[in-house]
Amino acid sequence: MIQFFNMLLIGIGAGSIYALMAIAMVLVWRSTRVVNFAQAGMALLSTYIGFELVQKTGNFWIALPLAMILGAVFSSLVEILLIRTLIKHSTSGPVAGIVPIIATLGLLGFIRAIIGFIWGNQDVQIKAPLSQIGFRVGSQTIALSPMNLFVLLTVFGMVIVLGFIFQRTNLGLSLRASAYAPEIAQLAGVRVGAIRTVGWAIAGAAGAAAGLLQTVNGTGALSPDSLEFSLLLTFGFIAAVIGGLESLPGAVLGALVLGLVLAIVQIYISGTLVFIVAFALLLLVLLVRPQGFIGVKAGRRA
Amino acid sequence: MLKKHPLIGYSLFGFVLFLISNRVDELRVFQGASVAIYVIAIASIILLTGYSGQVSLGHGALLAIGGYAAALSRNHWGVPVWLAFCIAVLAAALGGYLLGLAAARLSGPYLAGTTLALAIGLPSIANQFSIFGGEQGLLFDIGKPPASFGESLTQYKWFFWIASLAALISIYWLRNVMNSRYGRSWKSVRSNDVAAELAGINIGRNKVLAFTISAGIAGLAGALLAMSISTVSPGAFPLTLSFSLATGAVLSGVTTLGGVMIGAVTLVAIPEIVGSAVSRFESSDAVANNLPGLLVSALLILTVLFVPNGPVEQLRARREKRAKS
Amino acid sequence: MIRIKRQKLALTSAMLAVAALTVSSLPAQAASDPGVTASSIKLGITLPMTGIASPGYNKIPGAMKAYFDYVNDNGGVNGRKITLVVKDDQYIPSTAVAKANELILKDKVFALAGTLGTASTKAISASTQLAARGIPSLFVNTGFSGFADPKAYPTTFSILPSYVMEAKIMGKFLKEKYADKKLALIYQDDDFGRDALAGFKQAGITFGTYIPYASGSQSLPATGAGWISKLKASGAEVTVLFGVSSASTAALANAYAAQYKTQWVLGSVGGDATTIAATNKAYVPLLYGAKGFSFAPAPTDTTDEYIKLFQSIYATAQPTQTFDNNVVAGMSNAFLAVQALKAAGSDLTRAGLIKAIESKGSTFANPFLTPLGYSATSHVGGTGYWIGTYDPTGALKPDGGKYTVYTTDSGNGPVVESSYKRPAMPAKGLPN
Repeated sequence: MIQFFNMLLIGIGAGSIYALMAIAMVLVWRSTRVVNFAQAGMALLSTYIGFELVQKTGNFWIALPLAMILGAVFSSLVEILLIRTLIKHSTSGPVAGIVPIIATLGLLGFIRAIIGFIWGNQDVQIKAPLSQIGFRVGSQTIALSPMNLFVLLTVFGMVIVLGFIFQRTNLGLSLRASAYAPEIAQLAGVRVGAIRTVGWAIAGAAGAAAGLLQTVNGTGALSPDSLEFSLLLTFGFIAAVIGGLESLPGAVLGALVLGLVLAIVQIYISGTLVFIVAFALLLLVLLVRPQGFIGVKAGRRA
Repeated sequence: MLKKHPLIGYSLFGFVLFLISNRVDELRVFQGASVAIYVIAIASIILLTGYSGQVSLGHGALLAIGGYAAALSRNHWGVPVWLAFCIAVLAAALGGYLLGLAAARLSGPYLAGTTLALAIGLPSIANQFSIFGGEQGLLFDIGKPPASFGESLTQYKWFFWIASLAALISIYWLRNVMNSRYGRSWKSVRSNDVAAELAGINIGRNKVLAFTISAGIAGLAGALLAMSISTVSPGAFPLTLSFSLATGAVLSGVTTLGGVMIGAVTLVAIPEIVGSAVSRFESSDAVANNLPGLLVSALLILTVLFVPNGPVEQLRARREKRAKS
Repeated sequence: MIRIKRQKLALTSAMLAVAALTVSSLPAQAASDPGVTASSIKLGITLPMTGIASPGYNKIPGAMKAYFDYVNDNGGVNGRKITLVVKDDQYIPSTAVAKANELILKDKVFALAGTLGTASTKAISASTQLAARGIPSLFVNTGFSGFADPKAYPTTFSILPSYVMEAKIMGKFLKEKYADKKLALIYQDDDFGRDALAGFKQAGITFGTYIPYASGSQSLPATGAGWISKLKASGAEVTVLFGVSSASTAALANAYAAQYKTQWVLGSVGGDATTIAATNKAYVPLLYGAKGFSFAPAPTDTTDEYIKLFQSIYATAQPTQTFDNNVVAGMSNAFLAVQALKAAGSDLTRAGLIKAIESKGSTFANPFLTPLGYSATSHVGGTGYWIGTYDPTGALKPDGGKYTVYTTDSGNGPVVESSYKRPAMPAKGLPN
């Protein structure tokens, strides 16, 4: 019984990490219809900046918001310099699909190399601000620690705040309009280019939070070749797709589902099947309900 | 004459390659084989993405199927090499068919993400069944070059001839396919799928066909890759390979076969050029390790920014503009 | 019309490409082996310097160079200075083959040194035809036992004891020490882990709980926690971990978070305390009391003459880097290479080098605490392990106060306590 309960906590905890990345991906997708591989790279860079800030200020709670702001700035720069040029120069069709992906891949490699230049290829550590020891319930230590709890709260906080922005504010309306129908939005007076940059900025902040939190929630180790970030990208994407690439609450739900399913597989079946199950789950969702759990059946094909 | 008989052009080119291979040192010959392999792999992506409009970020998985099929058939049944390659093509085509069935309903990022997840999951699958030889992989030995060609036919030259011949045949065949009605129907689906459907084209079948053919070609590339490193293992088809192929396709110009050599040569030449340029300078470890990656990524970004359709299309567009004005 | 233009363009671009590739001279016919001149020897290494498998391993070339430079400053090897050409293969076999080809055909190295990774080493050996060309592949950095077979790999020499050996020795240790305890095993589900299973089977050990993990998944958020949850449920008293460093870190971190206590037994690959400490200092105290396996002296053992020398050399060469097992591995590898080159004599040839290792290799001075097994019928290097316990500072201290080494083979041979006494280090740490 205890193990079952712990498994739930483990699954939800893992899901919350995937959710952070999934949120960032959905944000970029909804603002610009681009799948951004550099998300992971920018999150990595922001995390390194966060590391530097923790070193300088000695305080994680100052470093986190600062890193998020810097992440937003950096992300906007990328949008202005890279994405706009891409959109200007490319034609429509399959090129429009694959070229931004390749460009953001190139950016990922570039960022990794820069990080290696500045900080070297060895591990650096960020000390967790909260205890990672699980809470005690009776005589048992459960699989939930103050750090885990903080991550969960952050995820839900982000969903609520971002959901509010997207659904209830003019900014959110402009964001959604610019993504779905840029020409019409422009006619309506929306500065599509600027709005897109804002969308990327928000995603950059979310990515920075994702990177920092997943690092301190785990072992605290960081390196330019961190396996965690590459995997996070894919699992964040799978989570986003399961929940529906169009919806933030969906992304979180998808992430939780993914986390729980993988936890069940790892604990009750076998740890060797993790990647296969993740892929199978993705395939299943895409075949049975491609719009995701929460998504609305769309008439258009992306 | 070349206009009417492209076959002559290809044969001529093949002959030129043969001559050159006898003049050039081993390293270049090996690299030439790598280029030929990349040509085939990139062409398969051009077919799938450029013509049929489906993005695949996990083509490495299809190459892996081809590589493993060739190695297994040769090791367990002792088939002759050419048959092993055919089996590789068929096995990968089958895989592509299944993947295409699933993919026909997907588009854009969903398809990209699914192929990505496949590429990540494949090593895991290979590790599950011991017949695949696990992490250390299987040996794939195509045997010594035939003695009748004499001493001067080294192993790498033999690889180069086989790979080049395969590349010439594949490209020639693909060109014909793309100029056939299948190619035209792919193009029409790509430009406007609603209109194409109205014109009577079955989009689903269309897409699956593209996937199947693309996968078969990729399987051939995978088998040739296994030949060139004489082994096949999950690590030989990593995610970065899939990304490199997509990159090569974009550098070549993803909508046309004409520039496919550019992408292939770039993928082989740039790492070496950058690597030797960097090693000239006495530099700290951090610089020496990361500078190649930095330069390659920067080059990629710049190319994609300023020549996103590939040099061939860019030239043609410019020529058309000039013709119009 | 367009067809011709396209064709022309294709032909032209192809010609240009081929011309670009052709820019290189024909190889000159050398009288002696390539990579050797009267004053220099060129060695080449290809390993992951960047990319997923690189952390830790990318310190090896720096460590090797540090030792080579030390030797060069002290007269070199029979008057020749050693240079090391380093290539990054990102742990991908096809890249490893391409880089090895560059080393052999372009840089014209005398021998390959320290290739890393089973799949890469296999691919290089087969594709570049090392055996047929007679190119030595010195002291490969992998625990795959197959490379020790001179019939299959005539020019390749192992250095690390194989994973099967380690598992056999570990199995015997577990049987003797923890016969009545509940055992659990966490292992990686690829050849690395499967070799361990084979070794354990030979030692006649069965575990109460088996926890395999997919290679790469150890860094995912839920994985480590899942292991601990399973261990808790099984009530394991002794937990063996046969995995990579990131797996050990994940296990320890999650054990800490769950306040789970068990007797850890860590395999040599994942048990480097310094790497774990570099990840997070908070985990080092968790190692206290854990058992560790190694075949070289512990990097923290400053009473060992080799470690003292290596530390001082490395501190001058790479003052910003920490001295850990990877550094010891690299410098030991370099030390052995220098010893072999010296033994091959002033008339240095590839065949001569191979002969020298086969005939005199087992008597080479070296930092390892196990005997080396080089002979004409076996290219195996280290053949055993000693067992230690981690102290609160993360230093691995040998059980019983002194290094007791157990040796075995990769086959059915028994595990025996070795009476090998490591010969004293040659003067100034320069092989003679």
